[in-house]
Amino acid sequence: MAYIPSHKKKHRHNQGEVRLQLTSMMDMFTIILVFLLKTYSTHGQLVNPSNDLTLPSSRIQAIPELGLDVTVSNDWILVNNKPAARTDDVLASEDYLIPSVQQEMLKYATEAEKMERTYGAKFSGKVTIQGDKNIPYRLLMRVMYTCGQAKHPNMRLVVYKTEE
Amino acid sequence: MAYRPSKRQKHGADDAQANITPMMNLMVVLIPLLLTSAEFVKLGVIELNLPPAASGPEASRLEQVPQESIKRLDLTVTITDRGFFISSALAVLSGAVEGEPTIPMTTGGDGAHVHDFTALSQKLHEIKVAAGVNFPDTEQIILLAEDSVSYQTVVSTMDAARSFRLEGREVALFPEVSLSAGVF
Repeated sequence: MAYIPSHKKKHRHNQGEVRLQLTSMMDMFTIILVFLLKTYSTHGQLVNPSNDLTLPSSRIQAIPELGLDVTVSNDWILVNNKPAARTDDVLASEDYLIPSVQQEMLKYATEAEKMERTYGAKFSGKVTIQGDKNIPYRLLMRVMYTCGQAKHPNMRLVVYKTEE
Repeated sequence: MAYRPSKRQKHGADDAQANITPMMNLMVVLIPLLLTSAEFVKLGVIELNLPPAASGPEASRLEQVPQESIKRLDLTVTITDRGFFISSALAVLSGAVEGEPTIPMTTGGDGAHVHDFTALSQKLHEIKVAAGVNFPDTEQIILLAEDSVSYQTVVSTMDAARSFRLEGREVALFPEVSLSAGVF
């Protein structure tokens, strides 16, 4: 008889194991691993940059330290993420001092002094100022003056580091 | 008959797949670990000193040094929207034209008027060299700015005043920067 291709055997595919192709996933993981190794940092994140402002850029190399956090955005001035004053009000007024911000900061200062008396942990008076890069100089000056008047004279301005 | 291994071509063995399960184990552990300690945005801080007149605690510390007998440089850079004015105890450095800023604005890449930070650094370098070691405060500089100058300009001025890249080396100019309230 002439050879007739079998119908039964046609659909019998190779029943071997389906091997999951992991090589491409491995490639991706290796690349991600190398990238993360490059951005690894041991000193952790002591300052949380706020989302609604763009910090200015600078060539400075010093890293942030722990301190009271004052955020100056275009709408609000926040002390440790608590709104303390509206930027527009501050700009409209003629005073250098911002009373609401000063009160907030003095609260922290009294707490810290109490801790110093009880535990001996020295009150450093450090304040970390984050400001949007477009804020006018007089706003910055007023915030700094207020910090000085609220027992926090050690000011640090947070910036983005640029490679130069 | 004695058994003889078949000389028929056997079906070639499949390539052994390298067992990547251990490698996957490593990745699954390492990647989340590194993700939690990754620093995608590098932050830096600029340490500031309020000039003595503006804040109480600083003033009391500085009053212990008798100030009249010591000749200070008192280098001041004023940032305006027309350029930089540089002055010191010695003299007010004038620009090319009397009354004009010491370092006027320059034209940036897109034609906009921008502050000339490189020229500022060079001028400060000349002053630093000229001042030499004759003054006790050759590391200090006071920045003043007009009310409407942006924060980024002030920070860039601080950068320009802090150090300067000369012939591939980083030269320190005036690292102690103080901000002062402008009186305009």
